[in-house]
Amino acid sequence: MTEKVKSETREILSKLVNNSGAMTAILITKQGSIVADAGETSYLNITAMAALVAGMFSATREVARMVGENEFSILLQQGKQRHIHISLITDEIMMVIVFEDYNRIGQVRHEARKCGELLTASLAPSQEDVSSAKDVSEPQFKEYALNLIDRIFQG
Amino acid sequence: MPFINYQEREITFKLVYYGPGMSGKTTNLMYIHKMLDTERKGEMIILDTEEDRTLFFDFFPMELGEIAGYNVRFNMYTVPGQVYYEASRKLILDGADGVIFVADSDPLRFEANLELYRMMEQNMLSYEMDPQTFPVVLQYNKRDIEDPIPLGAMEEQLGLNGIPVFESVAVRGEGVMDTIRKASQMVIERFQL
Repeated sequence: MTEKVKSETREILSKLVNNSGAMTAILITKQGSIVADAGETSYLNITAMAALVAGMFSATREVARMVGENEFSILLQQGKQRHIHISLITDEIMMVIVFEDYNRIGQVRHEARKCGELLTASLAPSQEDVSSAKDVSEPQFKEYALNLIDRIFQG
Repeated sequence: MPFINYQEREITFKLVYYGPGMSGKTTNLMYIHKMLDTERKGEMIILDTEEDRTLFFDFFPMELGEIAGYNVRFNMYTVPGQVYYEASRKLILDGADGVIFVADSDPLRFEANLELYRMMEQNMLSYEMDPQTFPVVLQYNKRDIEDPIPLGAMEEQLGLNGIPVFESVAVRGEGVMDTIRKASQMVIERFQL
């Protein structure tokens, strides 16, 4: 992803956080990896959060199928002080928004929907990304990785 | 396929510990977590029941380090082993890059091992993963019990040729690192940029 697209994605997420009054917005893959984040994240273990939310979303998808839906595109978890809004952005990526004032749920939904379209375009891997990945020498990458693995997992 | 984040220049692989209930999957993961340097590991999350049995999954991220300009990470998962958690197991397998199958060496659990392995192969097929070529390592755990299942018995029943096999006593850490090392190597060797 180019620097331009990278800053675009962050900008979209930051705008969402500002416009909706949310604390945090995180983009994660369905496999539980983080794509990007904005807002306050110091109170969160976002790596663990991504894994858990991805698991939760997958489980909910199966529940959806049981009742004849392909998937539920939005999940909302309401707490006492903090709430989580999760929405599907693309087939592979979902957005998690953490917010405090439940009265803002309408605004959160609106901003999430608005950002979804912008992000879909922004996140499609460009040809430049693919060529940049190809610049990495695969044999060299593998050799380094295998050496590291040997060192890390000593018996 | 691993997840490549071009934006952050990160490559994330997913490794899954699979196997029947109480075979020692979480014990394997906990030992690895304990042995790794602090800067290489994230917090371990264990979602278990009151009886210490995994309910949904256990998880921790492991940082391999920077390679060719990319930060490389292995996200390590276990699945719940009980037969009635089949749906969870299937979900967690989604997007996996490699599997460590932890078999219980107790002869009374032989059929349970075979059943779970066969179900795993079915789940792989549903994600269009080819069980013949997908990186899987077989670990015979609990080798300290009396009259353990003989090595080769599972491979013979399941028609597995050439699968890497390790013996372990995960509660003492024996064989745990050898198993994860082999599984990680297989995942990297299969990786294509």
